[in-house]
Amino acid sequence: MVNAPEIMLPSDWDERWKAAHRRIDQAGYGETVAAAYRRIGPDLARAAGSEVVLKLGRTVSDVAIRCDRRTAALLPDVALAAELKLSGGAALIEWLATIEAVARSAPKSVAGLLDKSSCLLAVLDIEGFRSFVRMGIAIARRNPERQIAFFSLEDAEAQQYLQRGSGVEVFHTIQLQMKHYLAAIWGIRPPVREVPPDAPEPMRRRCGFGGGGIRVPPAFSGSSAGESNRLYQAALAHIGAHHRFTRRQFPVGSLKPLQVAVISLVEDARVERLAMREMPGLGRLWLPFHVAKPEDPPVALALLGRLSRALIYPDYQDPHGWVTKGKKLFEDAAESDLTDQTLSRRIGGLLGNDLGQMRVQFDSRSYVVQPAYRDDNLGIWDLSEQPPEEQLVLEEMVEGVGVKQQKRDDGKPDEQNSEPDPDQRVSHVALTASDDTETTTARYSEYDYVTGRERPQWCTVREYPAPYGRTEPIRRFEEVRCELSERLSTLFRSSKISRAEKIRRQAEGEFLDIDACIEAAISRRIGDVGKFRVHGRYERRGRDLSVLILLDISQSTADPVRGQAGTVLDVQRLSAALLAKALSVVGDPFAVAAFCSDTRDDIRYFRIKDFERSYDELARSRLAGLESKLSTRLGAAIRHAGEDLRKRKSYRRLLLVITDGEPSDVDMDDDRYLVEDARVAVQHLNRHGIDTFCVALDGAARSCADRVFGKRGTATMSSVDHLPIQLPKIFYKLTR
Amino acid sequence: MQPDTSKPKSPPSADPVADFMITEEPYYRSSGQEIALFEAAYAVGIPIMLKGPTGCGKTRFVEHMASRLGRPLITVSCHEDMTASDLVGRYLLDADGTQWHDGPLTLAVRLGAICYLDEIVEARQDTTVVIHSLTDDRRILPLEKKNEVLKAHPDFRVVISYNPGYQSVLKDLKESTKQRFAAIGFSYPEASIEAEIVATEARVDRRVADTLVRIGQRSRNLRGHGLDEGASTRMLVHAAMLVSRGISIEDACQMAIVLPITDDTDVRAALTAAISACI
Repeated sequence: MVNAPEIMLPSDWDERWKAAHRRIDQAGYGETVAAAYRRIGPDLARAAGSEVVLKLGRTVSDVAIRCDRRTAALLPDVALAAELKLSGGAALIEWLATIEAVARSAPKSVAGLLDKSSCLLAVLDIEGFRSFVRMGIAIARRNPERQIAFFSLEDAEAQQYLQRGSGVEVFHTIQLQMKHYLAAIWGIRPPVREVPPDAPEPMRRRCGFGGGGIRVPPAFSGSSAGESNRLYQAALAHIGAHHRFTRRQFPVGSLKPLQVAVISLVEDARVERLAMREMPGLGRLWLPFHVAKPEDPPVALALLGRLSRALIYPDYQDPHGWVTKGKKLFEDAAESDLTDQTLSRRIGGLLGNDLGQMRVQFDSRSYVVQPAYRDDNLGIWDLSEQPPEEQLVLEEMVEGVGVKQQKRDDGKPDEQNSEPDPDQRVSHVALTASDDTETTTARYSEYDYVTGRERPQWCTVREYPAPYGRTEPIRRFEEVRCELSERLSTLFRSSKISRAEKIRRQAEGEFLDIDACIEAAISRRIGDVGKFRVHGRYERRGRDLSVLILLDISQSTADPVRGQAGTVLDVQRLSAALLAKALSVVGDPFAVAAFCSDTRDDIRYFRIKDFERSYDELARSRLAGLESKLSTRLGAAIRHAGEDLRKRKSYRRLLLVITDGEPSDVDMDDDRYLVEDARVAVQHLNRHGIDTFCVALDGAARSCADRVFGKRGTATMSSVDHLPIQLPKIFYKLTR
Repeated sequence: MQPDTSKPKSPPSADPVADFMITEEPYYRSSGQEIALFEAAYAVGIPIMLKGPTGCGKTRFVEHMASRLGRPLITVSCHEDMTASDLVGRYLLDADGTQWHDGPLTLAVRLGAICYLDEIVEARQDTTVVIHSLTDDRRILPLEKKNEVLKAHPDFRVVISYNPGYQSVLKDLKESTKQRFAAIGFSYPEASIEAEIVATEARVDRRVADTLVRIGQRSRNLRGHGLDEGASTRMLVHAAMLVSRGISIEDACQMAIVLPITDDTDVRAALTAAISACI
């Protein structure tokens, strides 16, 4: 039995402390655990209060029982370290409770979590820590290995969470602002995407462009919010300068990596100098990032940094011969014609040779372009004619050639400003999306109700060409049920969904029409027969509505409808056909689309009919070709459809979702997760003035639809005959 | 025809035409064929529509042309609540009874003035139809209340302005109105001309004007993507005027461009950074 050290605390505390560590001593967890608790207890009591130490005792027991002794022995020290990071005993008690929760749900992950606790608490407060743990428990409930990786911060998503919680300005929070900035200064709108969290480390450190888009690191670690903001601005301004002034890609030919680096550096300086002639303020933006000094050691990386600074900063004096030579060559060329792109190749080639002969060390694999705002320069090199082994070295050097940029529909790049090059053999430096036949892709965030935060750019919606089917059955149905579509047309026609207009000169109404009153009085005075229509009222007269009908075609829609012939998909198809017919007749703009999903990386979106197109044989054929398959990731589909509706200028814009059940997907264990996300997506659309309504084709799905769309935004039906009954409910919502 | 029996309360102006004459020719810097086009349409009596974004010089152009042609100009700023009576005229009550008051359109018809209906799409379509009989070969204006049909003075012309950016399903001209007009398209002048305008209007140094025009162009890159319209020439002139009073370019642009043009924080931040890049 080891005596516990005496501590200077109130008398009742002494008794309680002894009792607490005696429990641990006698519990059979081993001497290491007991000793750790006895050693830390008094210090912790003095620092955070007695209750914390008693709670620690209970947590140590918990961890020893549920996990293992080694982890339990670590806990007291980690708790003392956590106390330094957290403010006050209450937060530390919360922290201990969180550790207990992990011990209960994911015992194998506790050791990793304790190991990373300091690292986590360095950037997260207790609430952030609890969110992180909740996310870890939820994300990998059935995947213990991934869970261990998550809590040990070896999982990309965990790292991303930590980065976002670190208070560093992360790109997704300023994405819109940066896109506007790039558009304002250079007049271009290429897709700008974060490098995915599982990309290799070097790629996550620099921006890059090519293949129709720009990629940026999710955050520039180690910079404050203000610095990050300026870094992103500087990086995008720089890439925009390439877009404007680097007219052609440089063929790599037989160049060595070091020469490639120097030529890239000179080209960077050239486009920046030209950009500063147009926008002098860019100099103030870029200059502070150039911090190389003459006293830096003459190794390749430092010399490149010093040359960069010498080429952008006129007053920078550097005694090194190579830097001086570079500056002189560049300035001489600048005096003649800086728009000549070949000067970068010429000067860079010369300087690269010199540097090679100086035998300075240059490791192309670890080389990262300096300063941090400059892009990896992959976009300005044409690697296509390289022998594979050479290409590999260069690719590794310029990082991340493997990131395939895809066309997104969140901002179409403008036309190239540069004139066509007479030499067709060289490829253009292009930020415009290549006009390929690939599916258009968009990324959307997804709401995680566990953490209460959005996961940015989490879901990928891909637009697939809709398959064609036989239109005959749809046509026949439209003919047979023409009375139904006429009823629907009449309903649409009779609905008054528009701004309320002032109707004047009425015999009765809500207000006095002053002009009419004056005229009536004048008429009386001049002996005219009075016109006493002196009232006015507000009235909705026309209809100014755009509708997007979104069909859920997940596998479950292959099931038969209760008490009906035909599948759920059949009912959806025919409902869409009837609505389309009715809307065509009344002439309202509408679109029809369908969706299904196969994990968050592949939400499939099929355009059946766009707003601009008429409801014709082609649209019918696409409608007929729909097949039930895969899952229902409703939130992402709603967001994607919402983007289309946001562009409409109608007074009311309606997203009408026809579905058979609750959202689900194969990569989600938690049933509630996608429901909550869809609910947030609906709220987001509503905030932007887009109305949403859901027609649930299964009574059982009603509660879920109510949760997502609200009770007043949901109706249930099992047959197309119910459509005329449900439609007025929608109009009622729209004319509120 | 019934003679006007109303007794005017205040003595009419000795020369009503003089009230609407533009005595000092306003500064206008042409940047294309617009003067020649206007003069040709004026000569043959075709009503003219000026199409272009806000603040690009449409109103100034009309004033300039009225002065150049030596015709009085009567301007009406159209709005949603404007009625046909607001244009044509009405009887008003006074202590002695009723008295007819010509509206601006009627006055222009009588005096042979140029009637300039600014931002015509703002007016309701049932109001704008009153110009139909004046904008075809009839050239008459029926005054129903007075039981009078007014024949237009030979020099009377209608000019309307119209910002295509404001068009929507609900606010547009009737096809029958549109087709009565010949249109002259306006846009912001090219950079060197715009800088000349800014420098002349605000009496600032040409370098300041160049910088402001660069800033204006950057803001116009956001048109339709965060901004409904970029900074107009008018805005640039305002900013330049502030600069001429000793305000820094950055502050002047904040006051005259960024804050009035948008409430979106992202757009505002982007625009501020873009302005900084231009200075």
